[in-house]
Formats: sequence, structure tokens, C-alpha cells
Amino acid sequence: MSQTNRPSRGRILPREQGAAPLDVVIAVMAFLAALAIGASLVAHRAAQGWQEGLSGSLTVQILPPEKGPPQPALDNQTNLVVQILRNTQGIASATPVSKEDAMKLVKPWLGSDALVADLPLPRLVDAQIIPGARVDLPALTAQLKKAVPDSILDDHSHWLSRLKLLADTVMWASYIILALIAIATASIVAFATRAGLQAHHNIVALLHQMGAHSSFIARAFERHYFVSTLAASAIGAALAGMVFLLASWLEFAGIEPVPFLPPLALHLVELVWLVAVPLGAGLIAWATARLSVLAALRKIY
Amino acid sequence: MVRFENVGMRYGPGPEVLRDVTFQLEAGSFTFLTGPSGAGKTTLLKLMLLAEPPSRGLISLFGHDLAVTKRSEFPALRRRAGVVFQDFRLLDHLSAFDNVALPLRLSGKHEADYASDVEELLSWVGLGDRMRARPPTLSGGEQQRVAIARAVVAQPDLLLADEPTGNVDPDIGQRLLRLFAELNRVGTTVLIATHDRALIERTGAREMRLVDGRLVELRTQRT
Repeated sequence: MSQTNRPSRGRILPREQGAAPLDVVIAVMAFLAALAIGASLVAHRAAQGWQEGLSGSLTVQILPPEKGPPQPALDNQTNLVVQILRNTQGIASATPVSKEDAMKLVKPWLGSDALVADLPLPRLVDAQIIPGARVDLPALTAQLKKAVPDSILDDHSHWLSRLKLLADTVMWASYIILALIAIATASIVAFATRAGLQAHHNIVALLHQMGAHSSFIARAFERHYFVSTLAASAIGAALAGMVFLLASWLEFAGIEPVPFLPPLALHLVELVWLVAVPLGAGLIAWATARLSVLAALRKIY
Repeated sequence: MVRFENVGMRYGPGPEVLRDVTFQLEAGSFTFLTGPSGAGKTTLLKLMLLAEPPSRGLISLFGHDLAVTKRSEFPALRRRAGVVFQDFRLLDHLSAFDNVALPLRLSGKHEADYASDVEELLSWVGLGDRMRARPPTLSGGEQQRVAIARAVVAQPDLLLADEPTGNVDPDIGQRLLRLFAELNRVGTTVLIATHDRALIERTGAREMRLVDGRLVELRTQRT
């Protein structure tokens, strides 16, 4: 027989019969796991952004008296607050919020008609703290109260603590969902691998009987299940990656895919994390196949 | 080569299938194992194949007392024996060529080194044109010949065959017997479990008979 007619060297294990539904389940679980990883990354990034946006700044409100002071008096009080803030150690800048900007802030709630313009809105002064610097807030509050009794210093600590709680909740929820999906994926991969081993028990017994070393038999199964699980879970993770790329494209095009939520697009570096899903699933299949085959062989004489 | 001393075997709490079996197979010997169905022939072969441990007694294989041999040494001992199973036990997803080549793959040989030997052997057993065929497409007799070729391809020190000519016509049976005799001539110890009286009479080899789990020596090898 010529070399070309020679039968090819066959695989020790046959291709799985009826394994396609399990591959689909593994692909779907990998898709969900990759989405959960992406969501936890987005939540983490959003929480950090929220905190960075609010920490490092102060706001002083100067309330208009009920009877309504003359406009110049309120302007003087605002200038005084600005002066005090600028002279305070640790504060980088202090800027009064213009009446137009204040109107913009209330516009979503009150509208912008003429009546709103007549409302006695408080004056606002924004102050930025030098990064890393500490401001003596009680002393600053006392100084402001002494100079302008109707001033209120807000360091956003109330909002920050609530926002941090929200961000932490979102992050931990996504971690728990990720952990649950990872456990479910690992269980399915392990179940599929064990079921396959059960179906191939006759091959294990024959190879063992013919003098194959346990490591030879285990290697055949490890490779088989690692490759098939890697392929199925790679498809699932790739589909999840496409979802995040689509979100990125929508963001680039100026379309907000889900209102009120932070941007769902992942950075390129973050997309690399999705590769962990097929690798993790493949490793679980590899380890399950190895341990199951070696355990089965230990039971055979 | 093979030594059994007072070997007994029972499965679980059941009755003894083999009782006080004592015999020896010398290196290069040719022996038939006979007996009615259920007498324990297959169990005796399983003990020799290291497929089951005995319930009692001493078994020595290739000079190794199995009671004190490490389990890690068993694969090497198993590879020194070629086996023809009664139910063939071929791998359905592999071609006839790959099934026959399996023992050589297990011993770490490369295809380039054994391909021509496997092809020659398959031609010898009359399957030269069926190398690519998978077992489900082969007849019972063809599957049996693949199983025999697999058992002998690595030129084992010991050949154990359970009813190896049960499914083949007389001509092929003669040919297979010549193959066993040729292997025996070059040093392989052969033990064949069979009901085929004609086969036994033709060779005049030693015959051991199992009756109710006990071994009876009927005839020693003609010289």
C-alpha cells in the first residue's frame, strides 16, 4: 500500500454522539459568564467614576432671606464666601455658580418660564480641593457662618456615602451573579465530562487491559474534553464580546443603549478578561476529565 | 512463564468459580484450555490477563509474583500479553488498521515504524483490502481476524485467545492456527480456550480441561 493510501491514525476517543446540545449549553453559560464579568467591570468603573466626580469638591449655598434681600447684598455675601474659600488652606479654587447655570440645574424639575426666574434661588459657590489635601471642615463651617450666617457648607459626604453604598451593592451583586454563573458553568462542564467518560467506559477498560498507562488514557480524555469545552465556551465568550463591542459602537455613534446606566462599552484591556471564560471552562473540563479517569482506573484492578 | 498455585476465585459473596487451580505454562509452550460453558475458562483467562485479582492462591506471571508486584508494574506486564477476547472488543470508531496498531501505539512506537508490519499482518489474515473499514462494517469473522491480528501484532511473550476460531470458516481457521503456530515457533507462549475438538486434534498440543472450576490435565504436548 502506498503512503497516500495508508489509513490515517485515528483518535483514541470517538467524536461525541449527541453532544451538540451540551456544547450549546456550555456556550450559553460561557456567554452569560462573560456578560457577568463585563457587567462587574462596568459597575466597578462606574462606581469609581461617581466617587471621583464628587469627592474632591465642596459646595457652599447662600440662602436668600425670606423677606428677600436686595440683590447687591446677596452678591456681596457670595463674594465674601468666595474670598474665604480661596484663602482656606487646601482649597485650589472657588467659583460662584452664575444665575444662568443655577437656572439650568433646576430646569429639569421646575422648567424655565418667567415665574421660575423670580424664585429666590440660593447662590452656589463651587470649590475644588487640592488632590490629597485635607481641609479643616468644622473650622471652615464656623468661619463661613460667622461671616455669612445664611451659608451652608456641603462636602457631599452624605451623597458620597449613599453613592458608595449603591456602587458597592452593584459591584457585589455582579460578583455574586458572576460566582453563581461560574459555579453553574463549572458544574455543567464537569457533568458533561463525566457523562462522556461514562459513555466511553468500555474504551477506558480496553486500553487499561491492553497495558496502557493511566497517564496515557487520562491524556486522551483530558485533550478531548479540554478542546471541545474550549471551543464551545470560546464561541459563547466571543458572542458576549460582540455585545460589548456593539455597545461601544453605539456609544461612539452617540446612541445611549440603556438610559440612566453607565456606558456598557468595555475598554480593549477589559475585553481581554473575557478570554478567562473559555480558559477557565477548558481548565475545569481538563481537571474533571483527568480526576474522573484516574478515579475510574483506580477502581479497576 | 505462567504459574498458578491453589488459585481460587469467587465474584463477591457467590460460589467459587475456580477451585484450587494449579498449573504451569512453560515459556514457548502451546496449550488448549477446554471445558463446558460456565466451567470458568473466561475467569481463568481474566486472572492471567490481570483483569481480576484471585480470591486466594498464588499467581506468577513472567516471573513476577502478583501478590507482591506493584500495581504500577502491571501495565508493562499486560503489554507482554496479547489477547483475543471472545467478544473481540474492537474500537468501533477506529479503522481495522488503527485497531490492529493499537498495542504498538500504546508501547510508544511511531506509525512510520509499524505501518508496513500492520499492513502485512492484515494481508496475512485476509483483510488487506479492508484496512480502512471500521468494525461495524465488517462481518463477525472479519472482526475476529482483526482482533487476532491486534493480539499478535506486537509479538507478545504470551498469547491468550478465547474461542479464536469460533466465527471463521475452516480455511481461515486453518490459516489462523498456522499464525499461532508460527508465533509459538518464534517463542510466544500460546494458550487457546476453545470448544473446537478438530483444532485440538490437529495440533496435538497440551490440553487442560476445566470442569466445575477444577482443572484436569488431559494430555501433555506431543513431542
